[in-house]
Amino acid sequence: MGERIRISFLGLGFVGIMSTLYLGLMWAPSVAIDAFESPAAQKIFYWHVPSAWAAFIAFAVLFVGSALWFFKRSPTGWRLHVAGAEAGLATGLMTVWSGTIWGSAEWGTPWDWSDVRLNTFGLLTLLALFLVLGRRSQPDGVETRDTFSTFGLFGFVLVPFTYIATRFWVIRHPGPVVAAGRDGSLQSDMALVLLIGAISFTVFIIGHILTSMHITKLEQRVEMLQSEIDRSV
Amino acid sequence: MNMSDVLLTFESVEIRRGMSIVVSDFSLTVSSGEVVALHGENGCGKSTIIEAAARLLSIEKGQISQHGKMVIDSDGRRVMPTAPFGLTLQQNGLVGSDTISEHLKNMMSICKMKTNLAPILSQYSLDHRSNDLIAHLSGGQQRKVSVIAGLLPAMISKSPRLILLDEPDAGLDDNSIQTLCQHITSLRLAGHAFLIATHDERILKCATRINDLKQDIEQNPTDGEAWKIPEVEVATANNFIKVGFGYNFKTKAGFANNGIAGLLTLGILLSLVEPFELNNLPGLKMGFVLLPAFVAGLCGDPVVNLLRENRALDWWQANTSTPRAVILPMVGGAILTTISSYIFLENLQIIVVIAGSLSTLLCSLIIGFLQLSTNKLSRPQAVFIRLLTPILILPWSIIVNELTAYI
Repeated sequence: MGERIRISFLGLGFVGIMSTLYLGLMWAPSVAIDAFESPAAQKIFYWHVPSAWAAFIAFAVLFVGSALWFFKRSPTGWRLHVAGAEAGLATGLMTVWSGTIWGSAEWGTPWDWSDVRLNTFGLLTLLALFLVLGRRSQPDGVETRDTFSTFGLFGFVLVPFTYIATRFWVIRHPGPVVAAGRDGSLQSDMALVLLIGAISFTVFIIGHILTSMHITKLEQRVEMLQSEIDRSV
Repeated sequence: MNMSDVLLTFESVEIRRGMSIVVSDFSLTVSSGEVVALHGENGCGKSTIIEAAARLLSIEKGQISQHGKMVIDSDGRRVMPTAPFGLTLQQNGLVGSDTISEHLKNMMSICKMKTNLAPILSQYSLDHRSNDLIAHLSGGQQRKVSVIAGLLPAMISKSPRLILLDEPDAGLDDNSIQTLCQHITSLRLAGHAFLIATHDERILKCATRINDLKQDIEQNPTDGEAWKIPEVEVATANNFIKVGFGYNFKTKAGFANNGIAGLLTLGILLSLVEPFELNNLPGLKMGFVLLPAFVAGLCGDPVVNLLRENRALDWWQANTSTPRAVILPMVGGAILTTISSYIFLENLQIIVVIAGSLSTLLCSLIIGFLQLSTNKLSRPQAVFIRLLTPILILPWSIIVNELTAYI
């Protein structure tokens, strides 16, 4: 039952993401020729924005998991932390990678070290990479979990900061698209594709998190059984 | 001295190591004039209890107090004990570039006292070695230094002091163990309290109680004379900046870690471009001026790197605050920026030198803080903490942009 749900989420999300790509590239209207330096590259937007949205969801899961482990010592909390970090890394890299391609075409440079949004989002992705690689390099234990969940908690401070960064410091990165109020209005066809993308990425990331939590649970069970064998030898 | 003073209390303490509960519902009181020996098989939790008493481990339940004041509890609160205590870890907690007398003087400085160390060193046959670097000593001699440092707070204090010794006998010769037993007995009779993890029968005989982590067994310890305090003077404690400066100055760790990286960066920049070619590119020129100092800062805090040896960082954290490099990184950053200013700007702007100096200092402090925050991990060197440092490029690039106006 659980496995069917996980696969359904992953499958539905994957189909949705592929559909978003198709609609974004083939169906959605192009932007005005004078609106962007590179109007063709603007189509990356349909991948870039939904993956950033999914990354924020993953980082929220990371925060909740970190808090549950740190304050309640909840094993489910730790599994959420691990799943949030892995999903945050995957979606963060998708966002950064698509952003650098778009940036190269639009700004003539893949990265701007003086742009607050780019750098705080980059830091979030590096934080997820640190948590994923760090966890694999350390034996599991309360010290390891406490240390990494502390970073998970502090890392979440960056999420609202990253979101509002473009409202206060617009250097290169444009302002927010999701929940942007009047300033962020899009053409209806564009908004529709973007909405499908956001829903698809959300469904996919839920499937990813459920699968990751299940794998962590199995890993912990293997470790427990190995310890029991050690004790019986 | 009031012999009934309680110096250490464990109240229903639970401690985990890894995911296993090593110590569960453990309660213990150690009073003035008592020697409690923790005795049991390997892995039963003796060292865990010693390290928890020194605030080096988190506890899951209960709380630990020293001199009646909580020092660590299960909510994560850690408070510096009101009185200094002695600590000998299983790994000695020594820095190889200290001499014996420097290490012991550091301990005395933490106790805000000083005395002539020669008589104490001679009892462990170390007086002729007092000015030798710890790195040049044999393993057994290093162990002796670590044990003396553990006993020193009691040896120079009229008030009762708590001494925590984790397998102090390991690596000591017979004569030294005999001397150690005499010292434990005489310090006990002077009113100090001991918690010792040991397997050694001779040390066990010095104990007033033997605890196997389940129950206490009282016994009559060996008798002797009470410790006579040598002549002591009151001294001021060195703060973490002064100790950090001392380590950095003595070992040249800042130059080895940070300075060379900064100079190499300068060399690489010069290999890429002739300074006059940057005349029409002021932003790039300012970036080149400030880059060596920034790279030097990115190499982290040299003192934190140095203290990773033999758990010296843990020893310092247990006894006082961690020494940090503050002064020399500032000086190093200023020197690097002065050199690069003369090369690329052909003049010296004080504000640029200050910016270079501060960028080295702040980067090394931030990276040092990140390194310290992962120190509790089993393998702190294997963690990828430096992945978080690219964010430092953002403020640095903003500073470069702002200072471009000064060209």
